[in-house]
Amino acid sequence: MLEVNGLQASYDQLQVLWDVSLSVKEGEFVALIGSNGAGKTTTLRAISGVLKLKAGQVSFLGKPVTNLSPHLVCQRGISFITEELNLFEGMTVQENLLLGAYNCKDGKKIKALQTEVFDLFPILSERQSQLAGTLSGGERRMLAVARGLMSEPRLLMVDEPSLGLAPKVVLSVFNALKALHERGVTLLLVEQNVHNTLQIADKAYVLEQGSIILQGASADLLQNEYLRETYLGKR
Amino acid sequence: MDWMIFQNLLVTGLLRGGLYALMAVGLALVFGVMNICHFAHGEYYVLGAYAAYFAFVTYGMNPVLAILVAALFSFLAGAITDRLFFYPLRKRSKGDWVMNAFLLTAGLSVVLQSVYRLVFGNRYRGITQYWHASINILGMTIAADRVMAFGIALAAIAAMWFFLQRTRIGRAIRAVSQDERGAMLVGIDLDRIQTLTFALGSMLAGLGGASLLSLSPAYPFGGNKPLIASWFVVTIAGLGNVQGAVIGGFIVGIFESVSYFFLGQGWQEVASLGLLILLLLFKPTGLFGTEIKSVWEK
Repeated sequence: MLEVNGLQASYDQLQVLWDVSLSVKEGEFVALIGSNGAGKTTTLRAISGVLKLKAGQVSFLGKPVTNLSPHLVCQRGISFITEELNLFEGMTVQENLLLGAYNCKDGKKIKALQTEVFDLFPILSERQSQLAGTLSGGERRMLAVARGLMSEPRLLMVDEPSLGLAPKVVLSVFNALKALHERGVTLLLVEQNVHNTLQIADKAYVLEQGSIILQGASADLLQNEYLRETYLGKR
Repeated sequence: MDWMIFQNLLVTGLLRGGLYALMAVGLALVFGVMNICHFAHGEYYVLGAYAAYFAFVTYGMNPVLAILVAALFSFLAGAITDRLFFYPLRKRSKGDWVMNAFLLTAGLSVVLQSVYRLVFGNRYRGITQYWHASINILGMTIAADRVMAFGIALAAIAAMWFFLQRTRIGRAIRAVSQDERGAMLVGIDLDRIQTLTFALGSMLAGLGGASLLSLSPAYPFGGNKPLIASWFVVTIAGLGNVQGAVIGGFIVGIFESVSYFFLGQGWQEVASLGLLILLLLFKPTGLFGTEIKSVWEK
């Protein structure tokens, strides 16, 4: 579904991605893991068009999307939930969701989507008329994911959803992602929380200093010695 | 104070305030959504005035049609301006945007004024009145033109409110002003929205110029006063705050009318500037601003 080949990207003069290649098949739950500064967010930004690539190709559903404008990438079916969330703070939960469905002009469909999303995240239904800026950390994360779902994406890319959240909330976020996967949504998850992530993802890529150093099925990676030592702290 | 005088000042202030609000909303939109310190806003007021003049006088259209034509004309002019000047600037570099965009509008202002001079000459193009009538409000006889201008301003502001709050595209405009990246990520075409916003801002300015044609004739430098008035209102209300701009417009209108009555024309300006200084000293974010909208950080 998503094919990424030989990505190279930099922020001004600082090169961050040296050679990133990965692929996501339809229905898969793929994780991109690595420590802080490895280039995980940069990779998602490059795929979504927010950051222009120095080199490499990205293709989605067989068509090239390299360096396409972010709004066009969204229209092609990729929803990117950023770490900063980029919510519309001055608007209500409902308005944020409506904007998530910006490219849909069918009023009935939007209503149906909203009901689905409220099913997944009941707390958002309660906070419908509240301003997004007044929600708690976990609720904001949920709103960001919900908004991303309103465009009926074929691929959902989520950047570090557990960052800064209390352990209990982290669990609920991961459970929500798992539920989404079970519903058939294809997911590309970026995370620092290696252990939890490998429990729910099908396969993973390990990114270190801008290059993929390891990849494979989650179960296999959990047995990998290097990974265990470096990321799970086991000897 | 005499009740009659109070009423008089209130009505005069509100009539002025309505037009100030109209101009200020246009400016607040451009600043809030596009982060442009727009110093050519007055030139679109003048464009609207010229368009209405020619529509009404040369082509003999009825007043309402002439004003609508002028508004449409200003809308198109705004759209063309964005595509010609701001779009390439956005593509080229986002660094130093605030300064660059501001300088662009300053240059645009000079160029437009010179173009008006070249094409229309220095003459004042004015009319005595659109409507040959006076309306009686609370015992005062007010020219129909003034009341109609106020009515048009109010209608435009109401329409703009409805558009921004209740329509899909209006919501998108608000989204872009709150979080550009978020807007991109939900599939909003930023360039289209920016062009639309600038067109709307110019349209509102042109509408102002057209409605007030009998009170302020069209001439090349006719944009300076409206420009300063708009910036005054927007600064007092809080930069980029569109609702605040509306209320601010009325507050300034009433303030000016009251201070004019008590202080006379010369000192009225001192009072206005004094108000601005006090505000900037004690509440620089404006009456309704909550925080300086990190324009410099973008």
